[in-house]
Formats: sequence, C-alpha cells, structure tokens
Amino acid sequence: MLVAAGFIFLYAPTDALQGPVQRIFYLHVSSAIAAYGCFAVVLLGGVVYLWKENIAADRLARALVMGMIWAKPIWGTFWTWDARLTSTLVLWIIYAGYLMVRRLAEPGRQAARFAAVVGIFGFIDVPVVHFSVTWWRTQHPGPVVINDTLPAEMLVAFLITMACTLFLAGVMIAIRYRIEVLMDQAAEKTVPAPIVAPSEAGGAR
Amino acid sequence: MRTISIALAVARKDLTSEWRTRELVPALAQFVVLALVIANFGFQIDSHNAVAIAPGVLWMALVFAGLVAFGRAFAAEREQASLEAMLLTAAPPAAIFAGKALAAALLLAICEAVLLPALALFFGVRLSFDVVSAVLLATVGMAVLGCLFAAMVARVRARELLLPVLTLPLWIPFVVVGGQAVQAAMGGSVTGQATGLLLDLDILFVVLTSLAARFVLDD
Amino acid sequence: MSTLVGTALTQRFGSELALDAVDVAIDGGEHLAVLGENGAGKTTLLRILATAARPTSGSLEIFGLDAMVERRRLRARIGFVAHAPGLYPALSAAENLGFFCTLQGVARSRVAEVLDLIGLADAGRRPAAKLSRGAQQRLAIGRAVLHDPRLLVLDEPDASLDSDGADLLARVMRGRTAIIATHDHALANRLCQRTLLLRRGRVVGVPTRLRVVH
Repeated sequence: MLVAAGFIFLYAPTDALQGPVQRIFYLHVSSAIAAYGCFAVVLLGGVVYLWKENIAADRLARALVMGMIWAKPIWGTFWTWDARLTSTLVLWIIYAGYLMVRRLAEPGRQAARFAAVVGIFGFIDVPVVHFSVTWWRTQHPGPVVINDTLPAEMLVAFLITMACTLFLAGVMIAIRYRIEVLMDQAAEKTVPAPIVAPSEAGGAR
Repeated sequence: MRTISIALAVARKDLTSEWRTRELVPALAQFVVLALVIANFGFQIDSHNAVAIAPGVLWMALVFAGLVAFGRAFAAEREQASLEAMLLTAAPPAAIFAGKALAAALLLAICEAVLLPALALFFGVRLSFDVVSAVLLATVGMAVLGCLFAAMVARVRARELLLPVLTLPLWIPFVVVGGQAVQAAMGGSVTGQATGLLLDLDILFVVLTSLAARFVLDD
Repeated sequence: MSTLVGTALTQRFGSELALDAVDVAIDGGEHLAVLGENGAGKTTLLRILATAARPTSGSLEIFGLDAMVERRRLRARIGFVAHAPGLYPALSAAENLGFFCTLQGVARSRVAEVLDLIGLADAGRRPAAKLSRGAQQRLAIGRAVLHDPRLLVLDEPDASLDSDGADLLARVMRGRTAIIATHDHALANRLCQRTLLLRRGRVVGVPTRLRVVH
C-alpha cells in the first residue's frame, strides 16, 4: 500500500479539471472493485461454506466514505442518488444483513445456509439495482479507466493501486479464514454443560 | 401436477384462515389510508405536484404494507408448529412456499384495491390500466422475495429488524422501475418498457426464490 | 431386520448438550417407550427420530435408508405427533385433515375414516380452535396417521388426552412400529414392549423388556 501511495501522490500528474482531490479516485475505485470482488468470493464461498466477514465490509465502508469525500468538492454535496452510489449503498446494506443473519441464526447448518442464500441474492441484486438506477438516471462521471484520454502515468498509478489493493485483500482473507478455522476448532473442544433441572433427585415425578 | 395442487391448497388454506379471522386485511387497509392522509398534509399536495408526488406515496405505502403482510405469512408462533407439520409430509417445500407467497400476494392485492382508488381520490391522479398492471406486477416480485426472507427471519432472533434489512435492497429495483412506470402512466405517457422490465424482474426472482425455498424452509 | 437404528446420536444447542451419544434400535412392529424427566432429552430425541431435526453428530437409519439424505422419502412413511399440535385454528377438523390429505397425496376418503377413528366424526364445521384440548390432541394424532405411516413417533401424546385417550393410542399404534415419549409409566407398560430411560441426555441402564399387561 505504501508503494501505491507513493505512486499516487508523487508520480501521477495533477488532473487538470479536478485537482489534487482526484487522487482519491484511485483508492476509491480500487476499493469498490475489490469490495465487489470480495463479494463475488462470498458468493462462491457461500456455496462452499467459507466464511469471510469483516474484510469485505471494511472495504465497502471505505469505498463509500472515500466516494463521499470525493463527491463533496466536485459536486458540492456528500451524497446523490445515482447508480454507483446507490448500488454501493445497497451492497453495504446487504452485507450488514448477511452479517446479522450469520450472527442471529442458529449456529452451524442454519446460519451457514441462510447466510449463503442472503449472499447469493445479494450478489445478484447489486447489478440489478445498478441497472435499474442507471436506467432511471445517473450523475456519476463516466468511468475514466476505459477512456482513451487517460494519461499513461495515471493509468499506471491506477493499475498498481488496484494490484496492491487486491493483494492486500487476499492477505486479509487468508488471515481471516485461518481465524475462522481456529474459532471452529475451539467451539468443538468446549466441554458443554448438560441441561438438567436440579429436581431430579429422588425420582419424584 | 401435484406441486400446483399443493401450492393452491396452501394458498386456499391461508386465504380461508384470513377470511375467517379477518386480522390482516383490515389492518393493512387502515394503514394505507392513514398513510395517504398523512402524505396529503405532509407534502402540501396541489394539482401541480400531485402527479409528481403520488407515485412516491404509493410505493412507500406499498413497501411498508408489504413488510407487514409478508412478515405475517410466517410469523405467528403457531405457524411455526404448523409449518413444520407441513414440511414433515411428502409435499415439496417449494410448493408450500409458492402457496404462501401466492396467498400473501393476493392479500396485498386486496389492500391495493383500497389503496389505488383512495390515491386517485385524494390526489386527483388518473388510474389507468398501466398503473394497475405495474402495481400488480411489482406485487408478484415483492411477494416472492418478501416471503422468502420472512421464512428465513421467522426462525431467527430480532426478526422485525432483520426483515427490512434483507428485503428492502431486493425491492429497490421494483420500486425504481415501478415508480417510473406509475409516474409515466399518471402523467399520460407510455410505459411499455417499464412494464416489460417489471415482468423480467418477476421472472428472475420467481425462479430464484423457488430454487432457494427448499434451503430456507427446511433443514 | 431393524426398522430404525440410531447410533451415537448427539445434539448440541450452542454449549448445551441435550443428547449425548444415544443409541436406539427398534424392530418392525415394536412399540418403544422413551421415559425420563422434563429436560432429559425425550423431545430432542424424538424429533431426530422423526426426521424433524438433525443431530449434531451420529447416524440414523430408518427402513434401511440414511435419514440424513432421504428425508423426504422417509417422511412419507413416518407420522409425527409433536409437542405442539400445530393445527390450523380457523379451519374445522375435517378441513385440517383434508388439507393434509392434499399435502400427503392421499385420497380424500381418508378424512372420514380418520375422523371416525379418532372419534371426531361429529365435530362438524366448528373451527379447531373451539375444540377441547383433548379433541385437538386427537385431531393431531389423526393427522399423523392420515397417510398410513409405517413408523409413528408420538411426543407425550397423553399430556392432553382425556380418559379414553389411551384406547385411541392403542388403536393407532397397533400394527405399526411406534415410539412414544411419556411420563406415565403405567401407560408405557400398557402400550409398549420396551423402554428407554433418558437422564440428562444419556441412556440410563439397559433397555428393559416390559411385560405387556392388558
């Protein structure tokens, strides 16, 4: 990430129109893409019962926050109901729902099953929401990356940031997975206390 | 096919129970009328902005009524014991789910039959076939999604909080597209594309929820 | 050949151990009584045997099929009377049974037969909520035998039954393999050939053979 930061601030030239604030763009878009990528993994994981919790949620929150910071100087407002922001918000809500279901349902089969269903529907919902809002109206500036006129240095900086972000995501996922495995092992070793009413003595019925 | 007759039997059972106890529909009808009255005072409707505001009020009322209606489909404690009794038969869980979603959709549709005329009355907007069809199409999609998550949430703690969190993100496409359709129709323009989109969404989610029902209802 | 074989059935709810490696086996046509105090695990065990719940670990074989895998096929041949009756209060007894006939895929004529069997033929069109508790329990029992199951699992059916309830139980259990959970040792004596005693989720002692006394 330090490498990415170096590139962002020192290497890429200042964008003519939007000024230094535009540099947030790199982290913002990378985070959003990485977040959605994590969610895709959640989808697959939901099917195979892999558990990824805080990582994607963190990414998401960061993507949203950075998007808002970027929005303020550009549009003069922190929020606007366009396709990108709306679908990211929706993604965040779905993820909150996912975590809640996982926490509140009966641990084990039921939690895993319900969370998997939520994950699958959530994954399908985000593009549907995005499409429906786009169909309705949009305010978000067009995707710069696809644009030919993006200067080469910016593109490089962006790609490097993207790569670093994904790498970081991968590392955190691996760590988180290991934590979950250890937690499961601990749960199984717990000596459970049997349930019994103390009044069974004497065989009274 | 047995699946269809089972789904219809489940729907008939739910509707008969509701008819005999008359618990849900009056409450929903009362809620939507109240929502309209409050909206009238809250938004200061006049003949100019009625067409702009009415669709929003309509969908808000529908969403909240829907949360109540679909939440009830699986909520009651006694439903849990009887839901299990249904699942312990040879009947496919997807058929049982379809029946419950069908009944819930019909109950909401009855509520809409109160909501739409009241909307036309209070806000002075036109009710065309397009408006009604958009609302009905959206009801189908909202019903299958609402019931799926209601079934999930019925067996989990904090269900009143969890149901909206899970359901609303999935209802947004319906509200966006449906809202557009209703607004266009009330303004007198054409809604073909929106209606087609609603139909696509319906097909998508009916298929998905039927596949998922088995995992949510049963162990 | 054994109708039902449960091996090392264990059920955990969080950190609570409700069943601890319970073994149970029943032969075709046998009646087994599961005895024990409240909280001993009778309901937990019966729900697993009726395929209404999955155990945390252990295996269960019914009619030669793996109960974890073939649940739907098995449910067509098992009848379960749960702790809570789970009837539809706004529907009449006949309507309740008719609905389950459709679910089970059996002929509507069974409704009249079963109403006769459980003594509710004249329950007429009263909603089930208006029936007495004893009558509601009879209805739940009737529903469990609509599809003529080979295995009947009853969780404390005697709790709300009236005095000739024991006769009804004997009638429905006849000719079927049955597992019944109860507090009532005399009833267990009358209806069953074997007992299983649970305490704190564990089987206590050796399953005893009862002398069947009429």
